[in-house]
Parts: sequence; structure tokens; C-alpha cells
Amino acid sequence: MKQLIQDIFVAVSLVFGFTSLVLLIADAPVLDAFKNIWLGSFASTMKFSQVLTVWVPLVLCSCGLLFTFRANLWNIGIEGQIIMGAIGGMAVLRMPGLENPALILSLSFVAAILGGGAWGLLAGLLKTRGGVHEIFGGLGLNFVAQGFILWLIFGPWKRPGIASMSGTELLPLKLWLSSPPGWRVAYAGLAIAITALILTWLFLYKSKLGLKLKAIGKNPRAAVLYDISPEGYYLLSIIIGGAFAGMAGFMQITAVYHRLIPAISSGYGYLALLLVMLAGYRIVPIPFLALFFAGLNVGSIQLPIVLQVDSTLSGVIQGCCVLSALFVLGMRQRRKQS
Amino acid sequence: MDVEFQHISKRFGSVQALSDVSLTAKQGTIHGLIGENGAGKSTLMKILTGYQAKSGGDILINGEKIALKTPDDAAQIGIGMLYQEPMDFPHLTVLENFSLGCPVLSRERFAASLKHLAFAFGFQLAPKRRVELLTVGERQQIELLRLIHCETSVLILDEPTTGISPAQKALLFPALKKLATEGMTILLVSHKLEEVASLCDEVTVLRHGNVTHHTYAPFRFPELLEAMFGAVPEQKEKPVARATGNAVLTMNNIQAGGERQGLELKNFSAKSGEIIGLAGLDGAGQATFLRLAAGLTIPEQGDMQLFSTKLPTSKKASRIAGKLQTVFLPADRLEEALFTDISLSEHFSLRDPKSSFWQKTETNRQRAAEAIKTFSIKGQYDDTADNLSGGNQQRLLLALLDPQSKLILLENPTRGLDIRSGQWVWEYLTQTLSPEACIIFSSPELDEILHYSDRILVFYDGDIVLNSLTAETDHGSVAAAMTGMRS
Amino acid sequence: MHKFFTGLAVVVAAVAFVLSPVQSHASTDTFTFGLLMVGPSNDHGWSQAHFEAGKEIEKNIPGSKMIYIDKVNPADRPGVTVPFLVDDLVGKGATLIIANSDDMKDGIREAAMLHPDIKFLHISGDDAKKQDSPSNLANLMGKMEYGQMMAGFAAAMTSKTGKIGYLGPLINDETKRLAASCFLGARYAWTEVLKKDPAKLSFKVSWIGFWFNIPGVTSDPTQVVKNFFDAGADVVISGIDTTEALIVANQRKKEGSDVAAIPYDFLGACETAPDACLGVPYFNWVPGYTHFISAAIDNKWNKEWLWLGPDWKDMNNMMSSSIGFQNGKALSADNAKALAAFSTGLGDGTVDLFSGPLNYQDKTVFLKAGEKATDEQIWNLPQLLEGMKGASK
Repeated sequence: MKQLIQDIFVAVSLVFGFTSLVLLIADAPVLDAFKNIWLGSFASTMKFSQVLTVWVPLVLCSCGLLFTFRANLWNIGIEGQIIMGAIGGMAVLRMPGLENPALILSLSFVAAILGGGAWGLLAGLLKTRGGVHEIFGGLGLNFVAQGFILWLIFGPWKRPGIASMSGTELLPLKLWLSSPPGWRVAYAGLAIAITALILTWLFLYKSKLGLKLKAIGKNPRAAVLYDISPEGYYLLSIIIGGAFAGMAGFMQITAVYHRLIPAISSGYGYLALLLVMLAGYRIVPIPFLALFFAGLNVGSIQLPIVLQVDSTLSGVIQGCCVLSALFVLGMRQRRKQS
Repeated sequence: MDVEFQHISKRFGSVQALSDVSLTAKQGTIHGLIGENGAGKSTLMKILTGYQAKSGGDILINGEKIALKTPDDAAQIGIGMLYQEPMDFPHLTVLENFSLGCPVLSRERFAASLKHLAFAFGFQLAPKRRVELLTVGERQQIELLRLIHCETSVLILDEPTTGISPAQKALLFPALKKLATEGMTILLVSHKLEEVASLCDEVTVLRHGNVTHHTYAPFRFPELLEAMFGAVPEQKEKPVARATGNAVLTMNNIQAGGERQGLELKNFSAKSGEIIGLAGLDGAGQATFLRLAAGLTIPEQGDMQLFSTKLPTSKKASRIAGKLQTVFLPADRLEEALFTDISLSEHFSLRDPKSSFWQKTETNRQRAAEAIKTFSIKGQYDDTADNLSGGNQQRLLLALLDPQSKLILLENPTRGLDIRSGQWVWEYLTQTLSPEACIIFSSPELDEILHYSDRILVFYDGDIVLNSLTAETDHGSVAAAMTGMRS
Repeated sequence: MHKFFTGLAVVVAAVAFVLSPVQSHASTDTFTFGLLMVGPSNDHGWSQAHFEAGKEIEKNIPGSKMIYIDKVNPADRPGVTVPFLVDDLVGKGATLIIANSDDMKDGIREAAMLHPDIKFLHISGDDAKKQDSPSNLANLMGKMEYGQMMAGFAAAMTSKTGKIGYLGPLINDETKRLAASCFLGARYAWTEVLKKDPAKLSFKVSWIGFWFNIPGVTSDPTQVVKNFFDAGADVVISGIDTTEALIVANQRKKEGSDVAAIPYDFLGACETAPDACLGVPYFNWVPGYTHFISAAIDNKWNKEWLWLGPDWKDMNNMMSSSIGFQNGKALSADNAKALAAFSTGLGDGTVDLFSGPLNYQDKTVFLKAGEKATDEQIWNLPQLLEGMKGASK
């Protein structure tokens, strides 16, 4: 416990140290910058609810990644899985003939899960059948998904008369996930994210599936001797990962952008990868770290507004966080060895 | 050059790898260095080539003490080594590989030297061919020519005949003899007695880091074998041979890849109740045999039956073997049989054949706690497997083993165990488990094999060279078979 | 578990504490307006024109203060949407929000509904013309059609081959009417001034797919311009935000070809390659901004759709002219004189290019002889005109 507090202290000081250095180099007022990021993310109910709209997809992606990391898979393909989830969800939302919004949205949610899951399955099959490492397969599939969404937006799903990067036609208001008055985050999104966290915790820590995934992640050769087929569970974990990513895609189209845009994933897949590493692949820190990253994402927009500092600095801060975390993890590893 | 080792010792932590080793390799001779795996041969050669520092003693070249701090020091003196796995650059051509690591000469000069040397030794090497397309034997030839060309005067060969064809061997041996007569000092590291006998002028035998024998050609094999494997042990009280029953495992015309030479085998059958020991030097085929029987290695040819069920040649084989109550305990427990960061009780949960959604933590903790008591495992149920000592890991594996198992495959079951733990393991296997189970185990300890098995298979270079009831063979014959001498 | 809940309680308490002091202080004597720009504020193009207009307003209207955020697009700012940014700017005291891109149409409409007390000005778009749109949302656009007519005119006067290329962005109502205006200006120069055979004038439009090059998504504008020149065109008019047309023309000119180009929408665009530049039509947002901001300050705000044209007395007057045309070095003195006469004609109405007889590209009638197009008809031009090559949808 004392060790943990010490680690966190080291990590936090590293983050602030690095960031301050970068801000100094960028010739920005350091304290003001931190203050504005804080004010811009947590200082009002509205701001906090904006942070939560980012928190929801980040948590969903992180939950998915916990499953794949548990099996020692690097699901880089999560970006493509978000995209395919969004496409699957959008396909249902565009379907003519359905009237009941609740029904359409539920079907769309299911389609998003299927879309993301199928894309995950594809990366899994490339690994288990084709011998393609999941990092390369996943990257390839990300490109394919990106190409596919661009084709849809500029082709069959373009707005009447206009093909534009700004995406497809806006969804009718009845298909937007509703938010509490004065808030910016959808009820459904929060409910889904919290449910996802609880389910992930149950599956990974309490169910036999979670234990088997961990066993495969630690030693696939030994797993065979316990009648656990690594291939089967690789596929299962990456399908689950893809399904969670698909849910994130669904949230992006129904609660955030209300349409399909080329950058629908918002890079949350990659961000979630960093987040999960930072969390040391454990679930408990995930909601808090996701809140931190989401806050940074939303709060850093204050930098250009107030200080005329480019907001991409938030990316630098995130990078610093991950480096610090890796440093602390490495330290812990070395301590363990010695 | 004469190479003289004087009282060399080497410690790795608490392990004494070499103690007081002295020997002299004279110029113009081939000096054999033989011994089992782990006898200290490789360590001694690594000290001579500067890859490892010695803990004590001296090395003298032509009577002068020298310091060998780095591999470069050794190369400067003219000490060169031909490794088991050729140390070359696969993407470069024959000529380029030949030209490396020597004083700079023009390309034409290298080409001419290569042609000249290859002709002299009868090697056929195309200078422009990429090395990755060549056989191990040809790569070895390039390496040998390169060492000669770099004016190597002390040549060390480490198991030079593993992985090369008989024809290549027929070229290599005269070449080595020729080099010796031309004045080179050659050290040959091997555990193949026949080769050593046909090549060497002198032989030094190492056992457990000590020189146990030194002799000149012609050699007497029983003498060498005894020096390698120890004195023929006195007959301890041997467990009574067990009653045998129906065939448990049959193999026909099997060919399989794995280890150095793969495995080829005509037919084999094991009956219930039998205890079969697999002898052989490291990598001779025992490991492949055990994995074949467990369905983990898929044979390229031939068929296998477990309890009269034909094993499929697909990844399903291991599951089917498992269903037929076959278990396999590999030698490298943490690498192949246990999970790091996973607790003892979780291992029991994983092993539980009943499918359930939850992990059933309480039940499995109880099971683990019981096993800890019965198998005297030093640890707690929430300790992770990697925190156990080797002996306790083996106890855990035995505790995880289904006592109803009918075919038990063990790879080096007493590896890393002290004598008492080893005895305990055997007691458990033979007394506690059903006497109808068939046990097949491999071991590098000849004594263990002779003592516990009813039948012995000896592996050599991927073949079974001896298949005999223990009662009908003896220490000497098995040791001879292990080193490739056909009686 | 106990520890976990304790931790959770601490976090909830901390959040509650931070959330309590919510306040934004806007003082009464300053008028703050927020500007959302789609590109960087120093893009030498569309966004910079807006940014500089905002700076100009701060000087001209006492007490006004601009806050802004640039690169407002999902690629540059993932996860950040227009309504969120509006929340931010409003939180900083802005009472009028300007959104400078057609892409922000949906977001600004949503924000207008969420903030009924705040005024919104969307550049381009036509929500204000619709009955059911929010009353706090107005639209502003410049009549770039005039600028493009002059560009077309200058191009045809200069062209020797009679082949003109038009490098178009994506196809929408705005870009169709701009390309058509350009064509009408070129045809007028070719037939009425030079008295040449209209059949010998070729006007080809190639759409790349967006306002600037996105590798892998749009066609490569550099390649499109090269293709124009290779097919015999000697003037290329750019309808996109970046200067590829001018750069390629300059290269060709250095290689000895007698070619030229006309960039688009920013006053300083010719500076990239002055020798190949015939001139540039550009937007000046100061008059439009002044109108709306003054109206908001004086409580005279109306849900308006404003389409402002040039100040014909002085097209390059920054205070009064919403559309300008800056002549370039490559435009000959004679042609400059002809262009000046043409612009006078446009200004006094003696030259009215959107008048009949005029047919659509598919040969159906757009305007009968003697008929003049209304602003509505031009704004909603459904397809390109007869005589133009290139896709209408």
C-alpha cells in the first residue's frame, strides 16, 4: 500500500514536471494553463457533463481492451471496431419503415455490437487462422474500416446533392439519445458505461471465463494441458473487445455527433489503449483515469480560448502520463526482480 | 600451439560448474572432450574463447600464461570456434560470409582464397549463393574455411556432426585430420563416442565439472562410459514389476518433427500398468515422443492409437488425449504447465473439469488447502505458482493431476528436486495412483531410469535404438546405446 | 472492498465540492463575441479572413471583444463538438457566436436551440430563410458570384487556347453557382468583348471532393491542375481554399508555357507565385460582421439572411465591400482596363449575366429570353449551365 502511494506520487510528479517543462518551452503560463484545464473540465455541471460524454466511450473501449489484454492480445484494431460499430448502428438508424424510436435505437445498439464484434472476429481469425499478428491485422483492418466509412459518407450515404467530410445527414431529433435538462450526456450512455464496468468486473474477476483468459494470456502452451483452447478464447476475447468498441461507436453517433462522420472514433480507441496501460491492466483505476483523460480532453480546449496556446498540448500531457506510467511500471517490475 | 588448462574452476552463484580442471591439448593433435549434458564442456570452451571469465586457475599457450578477457583477445591469439548452430549471416553470400572478420583484403583475393581452400578440402561451394539457401553442413564448411583462412591455430568444434548429412560428415572428418597434421590444435566437444573414437588422439572425460578420466587412442568404451555416467550402481532393491494389461498406446510408422533430428519410429506399444523409462541424451527424441503421445505434437506420418481410439492429426488431438485420461507433465513446469501470477486455488479452478460460469473461489480454496496438506506443498492457496520452488511446483502438478488418469507422461519428473522430494514423487506415482495406470517418463539420470522402469527405450539422434525390458539389459548397454554405439 | 467505497466517497465529495461554485461573470460594458473557425487562424485562406475581420471589429466597435477557437473539425479536435464549444464560449461571456463553416450547420442549429438567449451567426447556410428555424440564428454570405464572374472574365481575356479549367471543391449549391458565375464571366469576355465563336470556348469543371487536399480521400488537386494544362488549358481558376493551381501554373510558366492561374478567397493568395497570378477574388467579412454585431449591441437583431455584395465604388475598400478582386501581376494592362470596365458594368447593372436566355447543362430552360434570375434562383442553382463540362452532382 505504501509502495502504491509512492508509485502514484512519482507518476504524478513526473506528469506535472514534464507538462510544466513543455508549457515553459511553449512559452505559456504554467499555473494558468493547469487552472484553465481544471476550470474547463470540472468547474460546472455542464462542463462535467461534457466530460462524461467523452468518459462514456473511453470507458467502453477500455472495458473491451481489458478482455483482450487479459488474453495478452494487443487489440490495436479497436479503432476500426468503433468505426464498424458506428456503421452498423447507423445502418439500422437509416432503415426505412421503422417508426418506434426506442425500437430503432435498440436495434441500432445491437447492430453496433455486431458490427464491432464482427470486425474483432476478423482480426482474431487473421491471427488464429492466418498467423497474422493482431497488431498488424488490426492496423490493416483499421485502414479498411476508415476507407469503408469514407466510401459510405462520400458515396451511398452522402447528403442529398452534397458529398462532404462533415458527414451524413443529421439524424432526426427523435433518434438522439436524450440527456437530462441542462446536461450534455445521455442517460443511456451513463447507464451503458456503468453496466459495462460492472459486467467486465464480474466476467474478468469472478467468472471462469476471466480466469481462463488470464491463463491463456500468461501461458498459452500450458493452457492446452488444462483443456483450454487458446485459439477459441483469443477469438472470444477479441469479439467481446470489438463488441464494447461497437457500443462506443453507437454512443458517438446517437449521443455526440448525431450523424456519421469520417472521424467518428475520435481516436478514443488509441486513447483507451494508453489508458488501460496506465491502469496497469486493472479495472479499478479505469473509471477514474478515464475521467482524468476525458477532463484533459475537454478542459484543454480552454488553452486556445483563454491563453492562445494550441490545445494539442493536451496530447503532450497525455503522452507524458503514459510515459510516466510505463516508467513507474518498469520500476515496479525491476523491484520485483531484484 | 599447445593449450594448457591448469586448475580451472568456475562458479555460477552457488553452482560449481567446473572444479580443478586440468588438461593439455597438444599442437597437431585432436583432443576429445566428452561428458553428459551439463558436465562442464561448454563452460570450459567458453572460458577458452573469452566469452566467460574463469573463477580460478590459468590458461597457458605454449607455456605462457595468457589473459582472455574478451572474445577478441582469443581471436587475436588464433583461437576459433565452430559452433553447433553456424554463427553466420544468412542474408549474405558465401563469399561475403567467408570474407568477414579477417584482415581486410580485396574481394578478388578473398574469392581466390575461397576457391583454393574449398578445392583443397573437397567442398563444393558457390561463392555467390546466399547462405540462407544452404544446408547446415555447407554453412559449417564455410565457417571452417573462414577460420582456417583467418589463421586460426586452435580450433574448437562443438558437436560438429549434429545436423549434417553422412556425406558431409565423410568430408569433414578427413579435413579435420588434415588440419591436425598440418599443425593445428583441435578440441572436439562431443557426446558421440564413436565419432570421438574415430577422430581423436586423446580424450578427456568431464563429469559434474570434474575431470574423471584421461586416455589416449585406442580407446576402451566401457572405461569411457563409466567415466561419463559414473560407476555402475549397486543394485538397490528394485520395485517389483507391475502386472500389465491391455495396450494403452500404440504407434505405427511415425515420423514427426521436433528437437534436432525429429523422431522416426516403426512401431511401439505400451500396456496398462507398465512403467517405461525413456533414456537418451538431450534432444535425442524423448521430448518429441512424449508430446506425440499427449497429442501436443502432430506426426507428419503414421498413426497413433490411445486406448484403441485413433488420434486425429489436428489440433484436437490433445483434447481427445485429455478426454482419454492421458496427462502430460513437462519438465519445464513454469514454461509449459503452470501459470505465473495465477494462484494455487485458481489452478484448481482451471483444472476443474465441470464447466461453470463462476470461478467458485471458496470450493477451490478448500481444494487447494487440502492439496497443500496432502502433498506437503510449502505455500498458501493464494500464492502464485511462480512463487513456489521447483519441488513444490512439481508437487502442485501432481496434486492437479487427475488420480484416475490412465496414461501418465512425465518429462524428467524429478528435475530440480532434492533426493527426498524425488523419492516422494515416485512413491506417489507408484503407490498412490492406480497400479493399472501406464507411466512413461524420460530422465537424464540413467540410474532413475534403471531403477524405476519396467521397460527402457533408448533414443539416439531421433531413433529408438534400444527397446528392452529392464531386467534384460544393464547400465553398460543403455549407456552405450545413448552414445550411439550399436551392440 | 471497504477501501474502494471509501475512495469512491472521497471522489464524489471532491466532485461535489468543485461543482458548487458555478459562476460566469460577464461585465455589462463589453460586448463579447465568439468565433468558431473550421481551419487554423493563420491558414492564408478562409479562416484567416474571418479571424482578421474579427480583429478589425475589435478596433472599430468600442467595447467589443473577440474570443475564438480555431481548427473546429472532428479530425483536428476529436470528440469536441460545436455545441460543446458554444457552451465554452458562452461560459466565457460571449453573447454572439459566429460559426464560419458550412460544416458547422448542424452543430450551430443545435446550439441555437440550446441557448435561446445567445445570438448566432452562421456563415453560409440558409436557416434564417426557413420558418421553423430558431429566431436567434442568422446567416451571412458574400456574393462571391461577382468575384467569380470577374475571375472568369480575366481568364477568358487572357486565354489564347480558349480552354479554361475550373478546380472545384465538392459539389453543393454554393459551389455550383460559383462555378456557373465564373463560366458566365468567361463567356461574356469571349463572345461580347473578344467577339469570338462561343463554340471555341471550353470551360471544364473538375471536382476534387473537398475544400482542400486530403490524401487518400480527395483527388490530388496538383494532379488535376496538371491534367488541365496537359489537355491544352492555359488558365486554371481555383475554387478550393489552397493554392495548388497557382503553384503548378508557376512551374509551367518557368518551363516556358504561357499559362496562368487564379486562386481563391484570400486577399494575399497571389503572393505565393505573383508571376503566374491573374488576380484573386476574396471575401471581406468586416461589413457583414459590423452589421450583425452592431444590431446585437443595439438590440435590433433580426433573424436575417444576408447576402452581401461588393461596394462597386471601391471593391477593395475594407470597410464597405464584402467582396473584392485584387488584380495580379500576370494580368496585362489592357485586360486590366477591360476588367475594370466589366466591373463597372456589373455595378451599374448594364451587365447582368444571370439573365435569359440561359439553359441548364441538361439543355432544359433556366431563364427565358429577357428573364432575370432572382437571388433565390441563383442561391439554389440546381445544376451547372449549358456550355460547361463537368459533373452537376
